[in-house]
Amino acid sequence: MFLAAFSPSNNPEVSPDATLLHRLLQKDVNAFEQLYDRHSHLVYSLVLRILRQASTAEEVVQDVFLQLWRNASRYDAARGPVLPWLLTLARNRALDHLRLKGERQRRREDQTEELPQVAIAAPNYEKAIDEKRRAEQVRQLMTSLNPHQKKAIELAYFEGLSHSEIAEKLSEPLGTVKSWIRNGLLRLKEGLQAT
Amino acid sequence: MSNADQFRELIEAYALGTLDAQERAALETHLATGCAECATALQEARWLTSQLAYLAPTEQPSDMLRGRLLQAVRADQSNARQPANTSTSIPVPYWLWAAVAALLILTTYSAWDSRRLQREIQATNQRASDEIAKRHALEQELTVAKLQAHEALILSDPASIKISLPCKNPAMPKLEAVWHPTMGIVVTGWKIPMPSNHRVFQLWLIPKTPGGKPMPSEMAWPNAEGKLVFMVANPPDVPGGTQALAVTEEPAGGSSQPTSTPIWVSASK
Repeated sequence: MFLAAFSPSNNPEVSPDATLLHRLLQKDVNAFEQLYDRHSHLVYSLVLRILRQASTAEEVVQDVFLQLWRNASRYDAARGPVLPWLLTLARNRALDHLRLKGERQRRREDQTEELPQVAIAAPNYEKAIDEKRRAEQVRQLMTSLNPHQKKAIELAYFEGLSHSEIAEKLSEPLGTVKSWIRNGLLRLKEGLQAT
Repeated sequence: MSNADQFRELIEAYALGTLDAQERAALETHLATGCAECATALQEARWLTSQLAYLAPTEQPSDMLRGRLLQAVRADQSNARQPANTSTSIPVPYWLWAAVAALLILTTYSAWDSRRLQREIQATNQRASDEIAKRHALEQELTVAKLQAHEALILSDPASIKISLPCKNPAMPKLEAVWHPTMGIVVTGWKIPMPSNHRVFQLWLIPKTPGGKPMPSEMAWPNAEGKLVFMVANPPDVPGGTQALAVTEEPAGGSSQPTSTPIWVSASK
């Protein structure tokens, strides 16, 4: 149960986000304000990178945070920490905008008008570190990949392209693209485990 | 390779959304079987994928976005509270019911009293109109009485001079004038028919002065009994300056000069 999982009185190691979410369930505007201040810059950076247009990016970010406010009661602790969930929702919404803009319709996982029923679990190796340090880690690890791997993953993540579309765009065999992406993500995972 | 291992290789690509339709459908079918290993792997893959957001160049949203969001959230909050307040059943105190009842009684009484006052005002207005009509009638009677008294004084005073006004038409009765030097002239006729076409009889004083124009005087209609009376309270001249009296038929309202041949004319003096 969400409330039990995030109750600050029962768990001394509870995260700041969990405390804020607990208050958000009570419709505490100050808690919402703090959650926004903690995560809006990363959510906005991601959406802007996908859409490359500030005004549309702000619309998407507004939509994402309003969903958080209005449907927080439907949020389940089993779906994992808030930030990855916010980033997943924001990415899906931004890619939906991008597809509508390009008139490309392709079914995506977890498309929904409400909170996505997406369970996200932080792995055991996840350490609570500040966002700046995490950003440095991820960028460093991605730089260590070969440029093809990095390019293929970026096309997938920021442009929402499928294996086939990436293969066509890069003029590479489909199998090669699949390997690049899978191996690249595994390298990233290993790198985060090691740090 | 087990069935789970085969799908396990697709998990990261599925979380990233790069699988083509056929692979995606196959993996979703497998996940629907309840494979716990793949489900856990997928949850962790989603977390891993979300970390790619850190590759985006760091940007800050505008303060306006923050303002808009907080405004929307506060509006949501107040809207959510309003129905709760309205749905709460608040008992109405007895004194409030009594006040409402008193207000209803007062309103009903006010409406009734207002209608009563309106009726009284209408009755008062009607009485005032009746009184004014009566006063006008009395004033007219008084005027007639004064004229009749004046006429009687003229007719009975020895200083008065009688003047006959014969009609050229022998079938018509003559008029008779009585002229008092200071009190005025009374011209009377009996069985006089009503002038035709809404015209009026007009009395003229014809001066002795050579070339003098007839002086217009009173206008009159015969009454129901055919009595015709001209009462000139203030004659413009003494009888000595007047050569004759004449009566013509004139348009309603009278004329400044005769427009028809005189019906009655007194003998020249």
